[in-house]
Amino acid sequence: MKDMGLFSQLIYYFTHNGMYVLNQFNLTFLVSIYGVLFGAIVGIPIGIWISQNRKLSPIIIGIANVIQTIPSLAMLSILMLGLGLGQNTVIATVFLYSLLPIIKNTYTGMLSVDPDVLDAGKGMGMTRFQVMKTIRIPLSLSVIIAGIRNALVLGIGITVIGSFIGSGGLGDIIVRGTNATNGGAIILAGALPTALMAIITDLVLSFIEKRLMPKTSSEN
Amino acid sequence: MRKHLRRWLAGLLLVILIIPMSGCSLPGLAGSGDNTVRIAAQNTTEQQIMAYMIQGMISHYTDLDSTIINNLGSGNVSFNALKNGNADISSIRFYGTDLTTVLNEKFERDPATVKSTVTKAFEDRYHMTYFESYGFADTYAWMVKQSYAKKHHLENVSDLKKLAPTMKVGIDQIWQNRPGDGYPAFQKDYGFSFGTVYPMQLGLLYDALASDKMDAVLGYSTDGRVGSYNLKLLKDDKDFFPPYDGSPVATDAILKKHPELKPVINRMVGKISLKTMQQLNYQVDDQLQEPQTVAKAYLKQHHYFEGGN
Repeated sequence: MKDMGLFSQLIYYFTHNGMYVLNQFNLTFLVSIYGVLFGAIVGIPIGIWISQNRKLSPIIIGIANVIQTIPSLAMLSILMLGLGLGQNTVIATVFLYSLLPIIKNTYTGMLSVDPDVLDAGKGMGMTRFQVMKTIRIPLSLSVIIAGIRNALVLGIGITVIGSFIGSGGLGDIIVRGTNATNGGAIILAGALPTALMAIITDLVLSFIEKRLMPKTSSEN
Repeated sequence: MRKHLRRWLAGLLLVILIIPMSGCSLPGLAGSGDNTVRIAAQNTTEQQIMAYMIQGMISHYTDLDSTIINNLGSGNVSFNALKNGNADISSIRFYGTDLTTVLNEKFERDPATVKSTVTKAFEDRYHMTYFESYGFADTYAWMVKQSYAKKHHLENVSDLKKLAPTMKVGIDQIWQNRPGDGYPAFQKDYGFSFGTVYPMQLGLLYDALASDKMDAVLGYSTDGRVGSYNLKLLKDDKDFFPPYDGSPVATDAILKKHPELKPVINRMVGKISLKTMQQLNYQVDDQLQEPQTVAKAYLKQHHYFEGGN
């Protein structure tokens, strides 16, 4: 085993533990997705709400900022006291960290909508709800997706650290690699899929973001 | 009026969506569902192998789901996970360690006394069931290279007596001043001390011995590196090191809730010998296999311990 090169060790590892790695990959992905999904369910309405009540925005964004400054390992341990070990705690942590990028981007997206278009809508006799549905949300969707993209890449990193409170996932492979003799290949076997996951989700979401970029602005 | 109705409906929809989410586990994750058994494993290889074996047994014999809470830092952490209801089964626990660390009782050497004290205390104080041992004992053991053993005709620990004053030995850091079965008591019982003693981190010991930096080291008998470096374990002929039989522990609550669990765990009792555990550890520590892969293959090979064997 030791006389094999790092690369062939890696190939050997994947051929013997392929299913296991795939399962852990799915697990990591699901945990981060769920955290960000809950973040979006809560964060987007909050972002919309504070864009309508501008006085509240410094308070809400301030709170989200404070959450962001807590180191992720500390946050995991704090939540562990209340929620116990396991995946739920990690999902909650990802949720908390995804709030700031999502709220902030929703808020900025809402405010950056061209006031002329809003005036036009109002002039046509649209209700507030209609303005929101047909103008504000479609025009700010790409900015909101950019926030979700940030949150997801951040979330994948946190989920990997979540291995320390027993949530499993690719982090388990990395930690085990640090314990084994000559674990270099095992560490890579955990770290490469993690990096791949982050890069791919980032690319996919940036593609969606570009597709949703409003084409109604006055320039074209 | 219509506007208000719509707002109410939207709110209602949100509540309906969120309530079931908080109650049960999310699709794709075996979180905290009602039929999920949570197995706690520490961050050592054998803990994880046995956790995956329990998981394999549960899914083979029952309809229950199971999830593994992995990488817990120490025996105390995994005990607390069980105590606080974060986990249901601890994959391996050792009578000897639990006696002094969890129960805070005085050190005791006689294995039978330790076993009965710990089993009883776990049941009475914490309502946990200590199963019979898997069949292997993890204990401190003096080990040397095969060539060294042959050259000096070493079989037992007492055989070291003549060589000891000139020997360089590596030991586990926590063993040096440990009360009861530590170095001071060892010197008294065996009647000799070593020339130079290097306390170091456990994982480094085996490498140090293999690369001839040490003449002998005190390591764990089940460690996979005993196999990978082909080390010779010296027999503890004065029965100084208490055997730490490895057993599964489960909470009474989960055994009561799912009565089918007990016979399943009992099937594993006495089935894993010290040699087996070393081999399994070796496959993980040295052969780039995951604990899950190793556990699955072993269960399949032994037909999930159906019947007698």
